Amino acid sequence: MARAVRSGTRVDTVLLVACCVMALLATVLPLNLREAIAGGLRRTVVAPLVSLQEQAVRGRSAFLSRDETTSRLDSVALRNMQLARLETENERLRALLGLGRELQWGFVSAEALRIADIGEEHSRTLTVGSRVGVEPKTPVLAPEGLVGMVRTVDPNSSIAILWTHSDFAASAMSADRSAYGIVYPHLSEAGRDEEIPPERYLLEMRGVAFRSALKPGTQIVTSGLGGVYPAGIPIGTVLGELRTSEGWARTYLVRPAVRPPDVSNVIVLLPKRIQGQSLDRVWRSTASADSAARRIAAAGDSLARRAAADSMRAAEAARRGADSAGAPVVQPGGARPVEADTTRRAPPRGDTLRPPTRRPDASEPGARP
Amino acid sequence: MSWTRSARAVLAFALLVLLHYTIRPFLGWRTPVDFLVIAVLLSAVRVRPGAAALIGFTTGLVADSLTPSAFGAGALAMTAVGAAASWLKAVFFADNVVLHGFFFFVGKWAFDIVYVTAERRMHGVELATQILLWSPLSAAATAIAGVVLLLMLRPVLEPQAA
Repeated sequence: MARAVRSGTRVDTVLLVACCVMALLATVLPLNLREAIAGGLRRTVVAPLVSLQEQAVRGRSAFLSRDETTSRLDSVALRNMQLARLETENERLRALLGLGRELQWGFVSAEALRIADIGEEHSRTLTVGSRVGVEPKTPVLAPEGLVGMVRTVDPNSSIAILWTHSDFAASAMSADRSAYGIVYPHLSEAGRDEEIPPERYLLEMRGVAFRSALKPGTQIVTSGLGGVYPAGIPIGTVLGELRTSEGWARTYLVRPAVRPPDVSNVIVLLPKRIQGQSLDRVWRSTASADSAARRIAAAGDSLARRAAADSMRAAEAARRGADSAGAPVVQPGGARPVEADTTRRAPPRGDTLRPPTRRPDASEPGARP
Repeated sequence: MSWTRSARAVLAFALLVLLHYTIRPFLGWRTPVDFLVIAVLLSAVRVRPGAAALIGFTTGLVADSLTPSAFGAGALAMTAVGAAASWLKAVFFADNVVLHGFFFFVGKWAFDIVYVTAERRMHGVELATQILLWSPLSAAATAIAGVVLLLMLRPVLEPQAA
C-alpha cells in the first residue's frame, strides 16, 4: 500500500516536473517556432474557442456601437427639434420686421415675457417702458393682429394684458364696416351651437345690432372708437352666433387672430401713433388675415425687400422718363399717383439700440417643448 | 471517482472554458474574471497532483495559443496552480463558501504572479502595479464569480447520494 502511494507520488512528481519543463521550454522557444505551435493549436483544437471569442468580441462591439448610434440619433433628433423651433422663431421675427416696415413710425418692438405665476397666464411683461414712450392703454400688436393692451408701465418694462384677460375689451367692427360691437374674451361655454367646436381661447363680439347678421368667416377688426385701439387692427374671424337672452342685439363667437402661445415678440404702438390714425393700410387685405400676415412676413424678408428696391428703382427711372415727357407720376404697380408725404418722417426706432436680452421663459436647448 | 462524477466534472470544465471565451471578451472588463483558473482549480481538487499539473499545462497551452508572445507562460502558471491546488485540496476544499472564495482568490493571484514573471514583458512600476493592484482586483472578481458558479454547479459537481 505504502509502495503504491510512493509510486503514485513519484508519478505525480514526474508529471509535474515534465509539465513545468515543457512550459519553460515553450517560453524560451524561438518566436517562429512558438508562432508555429500556437498557430497550429489555433487552427485545430482551439479553433472553436477562437471563433467563440471573435463572436463575443463582435457582440460587445455591436453592443457598444448600438449605444453610440442611439446617442447620435438622439442628438440628431434634438437638433431637428431645435431647428424647427428656430425656424418658427425666425419666421415670427421676420413677420414682426415686416409689420414694423408697414407701420413705419410710432412704435417700439419688445419681447413679451411669460410670467410663470398662477393667475398671470393672461398677461405678459414687456421689455419696454416709459423711457421709450410707452404709456398705459397703448395697444400691443403681433403680425397677425391685436394682442392686448399695456396696463402698467415702469421705466424699463411694462405689463400688458392679453385679449384672454377678463378685463380686456375692444371696440370692433366687421371688415366691411357693416356691424359694430364690443369684443370681450369668451369665458364660458354656454350658448354655443353644436357645430362650433369647444376651444379654450375664443373671443365674443357683443352688442351687434340685430339687423347686422354676420356670416361665419367674417373678419373682425378694431373700429377705432374709444380712442384706445386705432381702426383696422385684425381681431379675429367670426365662428358663429351665440344664443343669448338679449333680444335686441346679437353676440358672435370670434376666433382670435393671435394665439396666446405665439406671443413672444410684439410691437407696442406709441400714443402719438394712435391718435386718429387708422391702420387699415397695414392690414390692407383684411378679407384674409392669413394672406395679410404672409404679406407682412414677406416684407420682412431681405430678398423681398431687395426685389422691392429693384422695382422701386425701375419705377423711379420710369417716372423720370415720364416727367420729361409730362406724364403723371405712377407707382411701380401703376395703380395710382404717388402722394409725397412731407408731413412727417419716421423717427429713429428706440428699440434698435436696446441690448439683446434673453427671455427667462425661453426653453433651454434640448428641453422638451 | 465514478464515471458519472467524472462526466459531470468534465461537463463543468467545458462549461467554464466556454464561459471564458464568451462572457469574458463580451464583458471586456479591465479586471477580467478568469474562468480558466476556476476550471483548473475545480478540476485539480478532484484528481491527483500529476493529473492536475497535466490539466493545468494543457489548459495553459490552449490559452497561450492566443497570445504567442507569452507562449508557455500561461502553461507554466496553470501547471503550478493546478498542482498546488491538488496538493492543498485537503486544506482548502472544505465545504465553506468563504474558504472557496479565498481558494479562488489565491489561485488566480498566484497564476498572475507566475504568468507575468514568466512572461518577462513587464518591469518595475508596471510589474508592481500589475501584481499588487490589477491582479488582486482580477483575483477578487474571479473569486466572486467562482463562488457564484460553485453554488450554481454544486448539484452537478457533488450529487447527493440516492
